[in-house]
Formats: sequence, C-alpha cells, structure tokens
Amino acid sequence: MRFYDCNAWVGTPANGTLFSPPTAGSLVAAMDEAGVEKALVWHIAQHDYDPLEGNDLLSRAIAGHERLVGVWTMLPTQCGEIGSAEEWTGRLIEAGVQAVRMFPERNRYLPRPEVIGDLLSVLADRRVPLLLSLRRGATWAMAYDLLEAFPALTVVLCDLDVWPADRFFRPLLDRYERVHIETSTYLADAGIEAFVERYGAGRMLFGSGFPECYPGGAMLRVRHAEIGEAGRAAIAAGNIERLLSEVR
Amino acid sequence: MIKETPLTRAFWQDLRLPHCPIYDMHGHLGRYYGIWFPRPSAEEMVRSMDRANVRMLCFASHAALFAPDLGNRTAVQAVRQYPGRLRAYLSVNPNHPEHIRRDLSLLDEHPDAFVGLKLHPEKHQVPATAPAYAPALQVAEERELLVLVHSWGGSRHNGPEQMRTLAARHPGIALILGHSLHGAWDEAVKIARDFAHVYLDLTALLDNDRGVIEKFADAGLADRMLFGTDLPWFSPVAALGCLLSADITDEDRHAVLHGNAEGLLARFPGLP
Repeated sequence: MRFYDCNAWVGTPANGTLFSPPTAGSLVAAMDEAGVEKALVWHIAQHDYDPLEGNDLLSRAIAGHERLVGVWTMLPTQCGEIGSAEEWTGRLIEAGVQAVRMFPERNRYLPRPEVIGDLLSVLADRRVPLLLSLRRGATWAMAYDLLEAFPALTVVLCDLDVWPADRFFRPLLDRYERVHIETSTYLADAGIEAFVERYGAGRMLFGSGFPECYPGGAMLRVRHAEIGEAGRAAIAAGNIERLLSEVR
Repeated sequence: MIKETPLTRAFWQDLRLPHCPIYDMHGHLGRYYGIWFPRPSAEEMVRSMDRANVRMLCFASHAALFAPDLGNRTAVQAVRQYPGRLRAYLSVNPNHPEHIRRDLSLLDEHPDAFVGLKLHPEKHQVPATAPAYAPALQVAEERELLVLVHSWGGSRHNGPEQMRTLAARHPGIALILGHSLHGAWDEAVKIARDFAHVYLDLTALLDNDRGVIEKFADAGLADRMLFGTDLPWFSPVAALGCLLSADITDEDRHAVLHGNAEGLLARFPGLP
C-alpha cells in the first residue's frame, strides 16, 4: 500500500520535546523505514517563530528532497509583508509549494473576510488546500465561519481533537464538499469505517502527525480499515494526490 | 516510523501474532455525553476486539461512572454476555457513599465479574486521597483487587501528589495510573520506580505524545506498562500501531501487550 503523508513537520521547536526533532533528511529516512512514499511538509518555525522566515527555512530544508512537498504559512496582506494575494500565491506555486497553513491567533489577526478574504479567494480559485490544525490555534467556530464565507475553499481539518469530534466536523462535511479530515489524531474506534459509510472514502486523508505522533497508529488503521482496498488506497495516498493535482 | 521486527511484521500484515494476545486494561462501555461512538455496546466492542486480536478488555462502564442511578449493574450485564472477553472494574463514586456500599456488595454477588476498582477523581471532583474512597480501597486491599485511577499531570484531584500518597498508603494494591499522569511523565517514572506495585497505563499516551513509551522503557519500566485504549473511545488498532512504531524491543512489546497484564490477572481464578 502506498502512503502519502499530508501532515508532517520538520525542524526544531522552540520548546522541548520527548522526541528528536527531525530534519528533512531524517524525516525521509523515517519515511523509508515505514514505507511512506511522499509527504506534505511544513517547518515548525513557521509556527513557533515567524511565518515568512519559517517558509524560507522550509524551502531551504526540503530543497533536493523530491519526496517532500512544501506547505507555507499565510499572513494577511494589509501590512505589506507578502505583497498582494495574487503575487504571494503565484510565488508559492512557483516555489513548488502546494498547500497553506494559517495560525491567526498566534500571528494576531482575525480570520475574517475583511482580513484574509483576498487571499482565501485566490486560494479557493486556485484550489490550493488550506490545512487547519485544531491543535495549533484553529477552532471549530473558526472553521465554520471561514467555510460560510468561502464555501468553495479546499480545507483539510487536521490534528483533530483527540476526543472523537464527529459532532463538530460532520455538519461541515455535509454542507461543504471540499472539506476533508486528516487521520493522525482521529482515533475513534471504528471511526474510519463509520466515516466512509456516510461520506465515502474520498474525503479522508492519511496524515501521520509525525514527529509528534506515533505514525504507526494512523498507518495501521488505514491499512486494516474495513472499507475495501480501493477505499484504503484512496485514504492512504489517492485523495491527497487528487487534491494536489487540482492546484492551478 | 515502523521498524521491521518479527512482531511488527506480523501485526502489520495480519493484525495478529501467535502467542501474542492483547490485554486491554483500560476500557469503558456505553454512551458518553461528549462523544458519538460508532461502537459503544458490549457486542460492538467485542467486534472491535476481535478485529484487533484483543483477547480481553477490563473496563469501567460510563453509566457506573456518571449515572449513579444505573450504577455498576450495566458492567455486570456486559461481563455475563461475554464472560471470556470482558471483566469489569467496579466504579466508585465518592459523592454517594450509600451507592459505594451498594456497589461493593456486587463484589460478593458477582465475584467473577470484577477484577478491580475504577476511581475517577477528576470527573467526580474529589481528590483520590479523600476519606470517601477509604471503604472501597480497604476492600480492594483485602481482596487483592486492581485499582485503576484516572491520573493526569497538574491535577489537584489525581495529580502526582495524590498518586504518590495513594501508592504509599496502599502497598498491597496493584495501583494502575490511568493515562500515566498524562504530561507529568517524569513524576510517573519516579512513582513507578519508588513503588513496585504501581503500573503505567498507556491509554491516551498514544495520540500526540510520541516518545513517552520509549521514556518509560528506557527507565526500566517495560514490565510495568499496560496496553489500554479507553474503548469504545479509541481504536485498538491505532493503539497497536503506535506501539509498533515506538522505538522499543519486541520483548518490551510482548510485556506491554500481554505479559504484564497476564501477571496482574493471574490472581483471579480462571484468568487469563
């Protein structure tokens, strides 16, 4: 089974960890050990330090690693830090980056249309996936508000609450067809099976949560999910590859 | 991420390995206020256990923890339904002493249904060291029952201070630190090292806390770690996968998955 990890990071966090912080090289080595073919990767400095310098750090870190695809962190355009929405998105795509994260609370801006509407409109048009981490500042209310304003946005809800969160995310999946969830901390017993029964296998993406999570948890669950081989293959790799192929 | 060994290869391929049954020492049963569960009934939980090669689950029913009017009888019913697969912890609610007396009598009525007590000081808002638990803990000591206590770093109800006091007061009890004092890992290691009757439950350590299993194993505590899932909360397959990708030996994995639990359960006739 091929795995494409949509949720991994590299770099050294500002705070201490129980694990050895991964470099791009050690991440690839770990992927080899596990049988993960590719990964959508960001750099922890994009969150802990500064989005823009973090984006640069990421690009330098993964340069030459063809199996690692970058994710940048966005900022609002009003302070002139990133140029216009069109300019920034163009630079992003030119750099081979294929998805975006945002940390509004940490970066001290409001995730409202007045603030980031220009950028989210471009991301929606160009079908660039936005990864919202419930562990790093995104809230369910934020996700609901953003999607109400930008229903065509491609969103991956990742690092879900460890307490199974179906009552939070199912209404979003019912209403917005480009919303997806990521597996690393969706640990509900029989959760994958129940999800696929209701939504099909096309809206769940394999993410390991590496290096904070033990990746074997999500991998073993996907590998042995009782949803048929085609569904398992879609979650393991096919869905994220389809989404990234739509970026324009 | 997952190093290939004879054990990891077998579980990766087939979700099972001969001579390596799994004992899940921390589960629940039934519905719960904050979560929708796909498989909350005893029948559905056993289905999930079958899928993941879990031989036995020791559990405390949600009803017993949160609905005193229902109490522990729901747990007895589940064990009667699946006597070879389920054993219960008798839940102790310190806010209702009369219910404690009532529920403790179940130990005599159904001696083969229970392997221990479950305390949840955080949810019941009564410190684990409070006198309200004393009658139940005395019974546990007399009958050599296991005592599974929800424990969490930073808690004033079931934090490191309360767990250390409990361990010191009750040397005759096999004290299982539910969630291993989540977040206060160093304290969990110290307490387990200081008290040979303290065990470390891995439930809820297997989500975004990579490195804890290795920390405990490196501290020489592989013989005190217990596999747990909070079933029907978390998938046993996910917990198993986490254990497969932890950087520990197959010998340690055998201890966590079954060896340590078999040692604890051997005191009960017919188990494991």
